[in-house]
Amino acid sequence: MQIDWWHITTSGEGKDNWTKQAQLFTKQHPNVSIKITILENQAFKNKLATVMQSGSPPDVFQSWGGGVLGEYARAGLVKDITADLQQNGWGDSFLQGPLDLYKIDGKYYGVPWQAGMVGFWYNKELFDKAGIKQLPTTWDELLDVVKQLKAAGITPIALGEKDSWTGAFWWEYLALRVGGKEAFEKAYNRQGSFADEPFVEAGRLLKQLVDLKPFQTGFLGASYSDHQALMANEKAAMELMGQWALIVDSGLAKKPEEFEKKLDWFPFPEVKGGAGKPTDALGGADGFAIGKDAPPETIDFVRFLTRPELQKQMGATGLASLPTVKAAASSVKQPALRKIQQALSKATYYQLYYDQFLPPATGAAVNDNTQRLFAGTASPEDVAKAIEQVAATELG
Amino acid sequence: MSSGATKSAVAYGVRARSIRWSKLLVVLGFLVPPAVIYIWLVLLPMAQAVFYSLYRWNGLGPLQHFVGLGNYELILRDRVFISALGHNLIIVALSICIQLPLALALALLLRGGVPGRAAFRMIFFLPYVLSEVVTGVIWSFIYNPQNGLMNALLGAVIPGFKPIGWLGDPGIVLYALFVVITWKYFGLHFILYTAGLQDIPSELEEAAEIDGASTWQKLRYVTIPLLGRTIRLSVFLSVLGSLQIFDLIWVMTTGGPVNASETMATYLYKFGFQRFAIGYGSAVAVVLFVICLAFAIFYQRQIMSRDYS
Amino acid sequence: MASVSYSPPASRQALKFIRFGLCLFVALLVLVPLVTAALGGLKTNAELFANPFGLPSTPQWSNYRSVLSEPTFWQELRNSTIVMLLTAIGVLVLSSMPAFVFSRLQFPGRELLFGFFTLGLLFPIAVAILPLYITLRQFHLIDTLWAVVLPQVAFGLPSNIVILRGFFAAVPKELEEAAFIDGVGYVGFFLRILLPLVRPALAAVFVLTLVASWNNFFLPLLVLNSQQNYTLPLGIMQFQGQHSTDWAMVLAFVTLSLVPTIIFYLFAERHIVSGLTAGAVKG
Repeated sequence: MQIDWWHITTSGEGKDNWTKQAQLFTKQHPNVSIKITILENQAFKNKLATVMQSGSPPDVFQSWGGGVLGEYARAGLVKDITADLQQNGWGDSFLQGPLDLYKIDGKYYGVPWQAGMVGFWYNKELFDKAGIKQLPTTWDELLDVVKQLKAAGITPIALGEKDSWTGAFWWEYLALRVGGKEAFEKAYNRQGSFADEPFVEAGRLLKQLVDLKPFQTGFLGASYSDHQALMANEKAAMELMGQWALIVDSGLAKKPEEFEKKLDWFPFPEVKGGAGKPTDALGGADGFAIGKDAPPETIDFVRFLTRPELQKQMGATGLASLPTVKAAASSVKQPALRKIQQALSKATYYQLYYDQFLPPATGAAVNDNTQRLFAGTASPEDVAKAIEQVAATELG
Repeated sequence: MSSGATKSAVAYGVRARSIRWSKLLVVLGFLVPPAVIYIWLVLLPMAQAVFYSLYRWNGLGPLQHFVGLGNYELILRDRVFISALGHNLIIVALSICIQLPLALALALLLRGGVPGRAAFRMIFFLPYVLSEVVTGVIWSFIYNPQNGLMNALLGAVIPGFKPIGWLGDPGIVLYALFVVITWKYFGLHFILYTAGLQDIPSELEEAAEIDGASTWQKLRYVTIPLLGRTIRLSVFLSVLGSLQIFDLIWVMTTGGPVNASETMATYLYKFGFQRFAIGYGSAVAVVLFVICLAFAIFYQRQIMSRDYS
Repeated sequence: MASVSYSPPASRQALKFIRFGLCLFVALLVLVPLVTAALGGLKTNAELFANPFGLPSTPQWSNYRSVLSEPTFWQELRNSTIVMLLTAIGVLVLSSMPAFVFSRLQFPGRELLFGFFTLGLLFPIAVAILPLYITLRQFHLIDTLWAVVLPQVAFGLPSNIVILRGFFAAVPKELEEAAFIDGVGYVGFFLRILLPLVRPALAAVFVLTLVASWNNFFLPLLVLNSQQNYTLPLGIMQFQGQHSTDWAMVLAFVTLSLVPTIIFYLFAERHIVSGLTAGAVKG
């Protein structure tokens, strides 16, 4: 009995950890062999798409939940594990927000092993240099901080907008703060639309920021790698990015441990008068989905991979940033990551990044059109309308 | 005497017929094996893809949602596609006017007897050998607005120079990319011209020299006309390559920012396959195919036919 | 008395100097990105992003060493070489045959058949990848090197038939007629006279196929599943994480992958400029 497992942890202790877990499992289940295929993120997406289209999915594979998983589920290519989740409280062991990313039309098709949220990573030293005494809690305060940094001759924000998902975070958070959960759900369920006022207002607020010119020169052509390097070389004061930024930015710094200590985190500020709560979170998860032809032992294997002891270990060593099993919450030691962990557990609403949640074309339309806002080639109304146009054809 | 003539006429007739048979055998024997693998792995999948273009299909599950020519209508009305087509045409024109003459000039220069010829030949060909991904990364470093080589050099030479966002400015990104395209692909044409120049007998050029032709006249009236077939071939490949260019653009800009460097192939990939719109993507491919076909037919008939009687 | 005009030696020297200078200038322009890549492999990632164009402060030979000491590198190198050689042989054999027929034989429907063979030039391969994948799977070729070789040969046919047809047509008709008078048939002429004469063209095709096969990423990604079958481009994936890439290692890896290509190129290059063609025509 062979289980085909495709994952994207290409190197380091993460990769070794997965290999070890597979070996442990096969030792306990001698009739099972596990074949691991390791792919890079983008390559994985391409290969999986074609393989799915040919109708022969792997048994266990990396999944981010949301719209793409939804497409696979509706085509009958992934296994419904709702019943399995109810056994032995497996489903209850997870944080609800991340777990629900794998719920499609009321049924579950996967489980998360790592989840986080997007927030502001900032360089404490650079903030001190600009004389910023208090972290911003409202949008207007954030704009003031930007102005202060500019006055001190520091590039306020690093942004690699060539990879348009980076800039889309800004718009998505503003939409979340202005319209809250209701606006998004209405638009998604087609009782409202993405051209409604909250989404246009989000664009207007974003334009306020863009007009201040807070990004590095040539940011429209900068990749996310360039963006990371900017932070690592302390050429920019802050970024709006996911929880992985700590590790990834430090990796490019001349002195990683020193640099890591300079970084801290604060959540996205509230928008006064907005329908959303400042505790609403934008984020995403990494998880496992199970292919339709997977042998029954696959469920046991995935259970094994998400068991609390392993999650605690991964949380403590940073292999899971952040762990998704409730019991592992306290294992996170790094102070900034702890902040995120706490914000995550207190989150009043967990919004998955739009380009993961929405079906592929709409998600891509969000990224493409928000890029036009940053380039100044479209108005907030145009952007919202353009997204709605694509959403209408895909969502009905 | 007449019987002798008849005999040789008959012999000739027999010989002619056996030549016809052997010709048929050669034609069949030489065409069937390549045709088999070509039909199996190229034409049949291609035909399938054309079939997909008639559907609005996300690639998963059974083929469904027949829309006939609906996809084609959408494509031809999409401003982004039209501008992508425009970008391709710009690349075609720039390649013919800049890249090809550069390759030809270098091939001619090296032929004229230069020390270290072999080393130069290899150096000129190296960019072609480098993978697109690494080419994209290195040139992204060169074009980096903050610490890239391009801005550093220009800043050192031009007083009051302000750093330019080469890949971030929608107005110049396509041209910045063209520099990289030239760097990467001129080696292909250089190799073709070098091989083609081998076919030109040196006596003809020497004869022209003896007749008093200057270097330039020799080039214009002897060498280049003799290289004609190779040049026409090189242009053919260059145009088709420019119309279909994908990898390098994708790696460096993914067609952005805001579609400013979009080509038909990046459009195909982005709006088709990445968005799980297999039918739409296939339709874009068919449109691209038709454009290339129209060019190929025109070019073969009008320009290349005289090379092959 | 014929007057022979020739350029005085001094200006001939000057011309040579200018020619050399121009070539050197272009060569330097060409080399800068390549040297940056090679040197990049000697830096840490931090240094690579902070100072991409300077010399490494402390050369990280460990990057190159770790690539060379990984058995997967050599495995991938072996697979890439096998795939490349098989593809090149396939392309040379299967495209020289139609090129010969289309350039030197007259028969009804020739232009139409030639057009048929060039259709593959007009279509980006990536579009047909799904039906191609399904076909390969039906024939149980998935996860074998043949799944890479066969499509590469098939897709290499159109452009190389076009290129070779051009060079084959250049061989003078007299040689052909002389061969027939000597009783050598089409096949004999093809094998013993034409092919040796067009060695530069064959070498050029070999080189182009070599490069296309060596750098091909998407097809092997799709059809190969087992690590032991991976080709070199797939090896880069081990340095790419979900949110970040170890570019210094990637550059070291890629620079090392260039070495075999350069060796193969040098081997073929001697034939591209063999210059024996001129001799045959004279004789």
